[in-house]
Amino acid sequence: MNGRIRTLRIVARSMWRRASGRYALVVMGLWLLVSAVSLVWTPYSLLATDGFDTWGSPSSSHLLGTDGVGADVLSWLMAGSRTNLVIAVLTVVVAAAFGLLLVAAMVSCNSAFSSASVVVVDALISIPTVLVALILSVPFGASAAVIVAACGFAYGLNLARILRPSALLAARSAYVESAIWSGASPIRVFFTHIMPNTLPVLSVQLSMSAGTSLLAEAGLTYLGVGVGSGVPSWGHSLTTSVRFISIYPLAVVWPGLVVTLVVIALNLFGDTLRDAIDPLTNPALREAA
Amino acid sequence: MRFVCRRLLLFAGALVGLSLLVFALLRILPGDVAAVVAGTNATAEQLASLRSQMGLDKSYAAQYGDWIVGLLHGDLGTSVVSGKAVAAQVSSHASVTFPLIVFSLLIALAIGLPLGCAAVLTRNARLRGVFHVIAIVAGAVPALWGGLLLILLFSKGSGLLGLLPSQGFPDAGWSAPLSALAALMLPALATGITAGASIMRYTRAAVGDVASSQAVDMAMACGMTRRQAVLRVALRLATPQLVSVIGLTFAQMVTGVMVVENLFALPGLGSMLVTDVGNRDLVAVQSELFLLAAFFLFLGLLVDLLHRALDPRLKNATVGSGEVLA
Amino acid sequence: MSATIRDLNISIGGRTIVGDVDMDIADGERVGLIGSSGSGKSMIAKAMMGLLPATARVGGSIEMGGRQVVDASDIDIADLRGRYVGMVFQNPAAALNPVMTVAQQVGLPLYLHYDLTSAERTERVGAMLAKVGLDEDVLPKYPHELSGGQQQRVGIATALVTSPHLIIADEPTTALDSITQRRIVDLLTSLVDGAGASMLFITHDFAVLHRATTRCYVLEHGGIVESGATADVLSSPQTGQARRLVEAARKLSLAAKETDHV
Repeated sequence: MNGRIRTLRIVARSMWRRASGRYALVVMGLWLLVSAVSLVWTPYSLLATDGFDTWGSPSSSHLLGTDGVGADVLSWLMAGSRTNLVIAVLTVVVAAAFGLLLVAAMVSCNSAFSSASVVVVDALISIPTVLVALILSVPFGASAAVIVAACGFAYGLNLARILRPSALLAARSAYVESAIWSGASPIRVFFTHIMPNTLPVLSVQLSMSAGTSLLAEAGLTYLGVGVGSGVPSWGHSLTTSVRFISIYPLAVVWPGLVVTLVVIALNLFGDTLRDAIDPLTNPALREAA
Repeated sequence: MRFVCRRLLLFAGALVGLSLLVFALLRILPGDVAAVVAGTNATAEQLASLRSQMGLDKSYAAQYGDWIVGLLHGDLGTSVVSGKAVAAQVSSHASVTFPLIVFSLLIALAIGLPLGCAAVLTRNARLRGVFHVIAIVAGAVPALWGGLLLILLFSKGSGLLGLLPSQGFPDAGWSAPLSALAALMLPALATGITAGASIMRYTRAAVGDVASSQAVDMAMACGMTRRQAVLRVALRLATPQLVSVIGLTFAQMVTGVMVVENLFALPGLGSMLVTDVGNRDLVAVQSELFLLAAFFLFLGLLVDLLHRALDPRLKNATVGSGEVLA
Repeated sequence: MSATIRDLNISIGGRTIVGDVDMDIADGERVGLIGSSGSGKSMIAKAMMGLLPATARVGGSIEMGGRQVVDASDIDIADLRGRYVGMVFQNPAAALNPVMTVAQQVGLPLYLHYDLTSAERTERVGAMLAKVGLDEDVLPKYPHELSGGQQQRVGIATALVTSPHLIIADEPTTALDSITQRRIVDLLTSLVDGAGASMLFITHDFAVLHRATTRCYVLEHGGIVESGATADVLSSPQTGQARRLVEAARKLSLAAKETDHV
């Protein structure tokens, strides 16, 4: 356990040493902090509207201005950050679970089963996320769960396809063979021998998936199949500002900027994490081992 | 050949599965669909006739059977809301969406491939950094926001430069090709730039990997310059990989395409689907979703077959993509 | 063609891979470069061909046929490559272009350097393949359809098809079994001598080196530690590195003799 904490510290330190890693960690830290703070405090209540102060410019009382009904833009963005955090985390969890399940099927010893799952993944992967979300939204209505389900499905397939080569390489290696011969259960072998080999690729893909889920949230909410109308989210803020773009163009800037900056951070996080946890690219990790 | 047969069989199986899935998902709607569609003021007779019009009075098996038989005859049903034939509705909206998708993809390729190759070719560390930043930032812009920024910059009327139309599609459609193309320019840029950034990233990774391989060294040893070796050999060797990535990007781009269609008020498949889903127009939604999903399954089939055709080593292999090639 | 290397230094990422190497290859001479893996042999070959990665720093001078290679533009070196200097690679399975047929692969240097009609090119490719002992029926085949020995014959044919004046062979037999190894070495030396070309033969195996070269350099940790006639170095190695390599070669050749009797 002690060794694991030390590894974690080495990884975090090598990420912090790079400017891109520092940016990613700071932005993601802020995201977590703001989400937590918004649970107990936002500058204004989300329901506090002021009919005489619509489309207000940024001022000392409203740092990012007000929207079309006079609500505080900053408060809505802060509250939205926790919705987006939940969506991103759940999407990553669903995608990882679904993707790893598919990977396990694709590298399984039963060749008919494994090749069948490869072909099924290849076939399903071409269906766009938005179609899945549209299909699901008919019976279940627009909700964050639809976004999570649609994104988790699509990114899980994507993950499975990308992880397959490295998982296959590990699954056919001598040490997996010897582990199976010595009686280890297939599930144990998968988690102790095969999955660690895919970790660098897995970390990049999952943090990219988190970023893409934010982009998808914005799009799907705009199309009316994302989060419900009263729920704060960055996509919601973006959508409400769009309707009045010709009246007050500046209102559009903030939510889009937030999404873009966070997605950049998630992509950089994946890249630097991969370099930091791969002993091939991180000499500090080699020395510690 | 065995692979092609299996892939075609799978395609047929997937179509059947897809039709069942779409049908089932649309039948677990909570409450009485007819009541939702007809609204609160409908009389009992109106409800009953609507129900029979939507086929809701029959058993599920009969409903499914009717639908599939209709599909096989090219009859996609009639929208209960607009009263128009779904087939006509789909084809008229597709004439906006497909050109938009193709246009976006061309822009994405025109941005992604050259910049990706340039990022591999440059020996200047600072320039490589610039390429990296472009790829990361451009790939992180939501299509909705990108579209809005383009409107603010370029659109006639509200934009700073006032160059291009940003609302609607000409009534004359493609019989006025220039104005139709102009109407698609900004929306295509909005989705194409983001997709281009991801194609750029994949190109840099894939071509970069191959560029440090012995096959590229060998091509240079035969007398190619580094530039020639990267553009002729590494790009060619990375093509099978790129084809499947581009297929994926294409599928991911569709969300953005539907968003910008709405944003730019284009009468495309996206706005049609969103309207029909909002109206709970069961008959229309069912056929539309099935057709679109089937189209993308077909696209996946094409990408897979192309992927194989481009790599002589896969000619006799039986498994699909992602093959480990020793 | 002669080659002269003076004070060659190669470093990658601040780490010195090759330091202060001096080597000479005379016209028509077959020279060996031997060292264990990681000693920097391949880096010298890559530096001569201008194939080092962008991160490598090269100092000193490499002159081939009167032309300076270090710091020359890629276009200038590309004109030497495949025309006056041919290279045979260690692992033909990875080096041969997987999407090119044998005809296209062997014809590539001709295509890049000479203005021939495709009929003329096909004729020269066919003649070259005959010299390396391959039939015409391999012409439309892809590398993955050939055996390891056949692949390396294609590699040699590609390197020699333009009748270059200098051949750089980078461990050309390492990926092959011992019987095929000897056949390939004999083929290479006879072709090089027949064309009157010079050769730099890189290996870690003294048994192979003895068969392929008349004079050799021993490389250790990026520096030359011993040089002389191959037979002399083999019979009385002066340094520990050379002794170890000779010892390994003795065991190998004993084993090879035993298989000859079977």
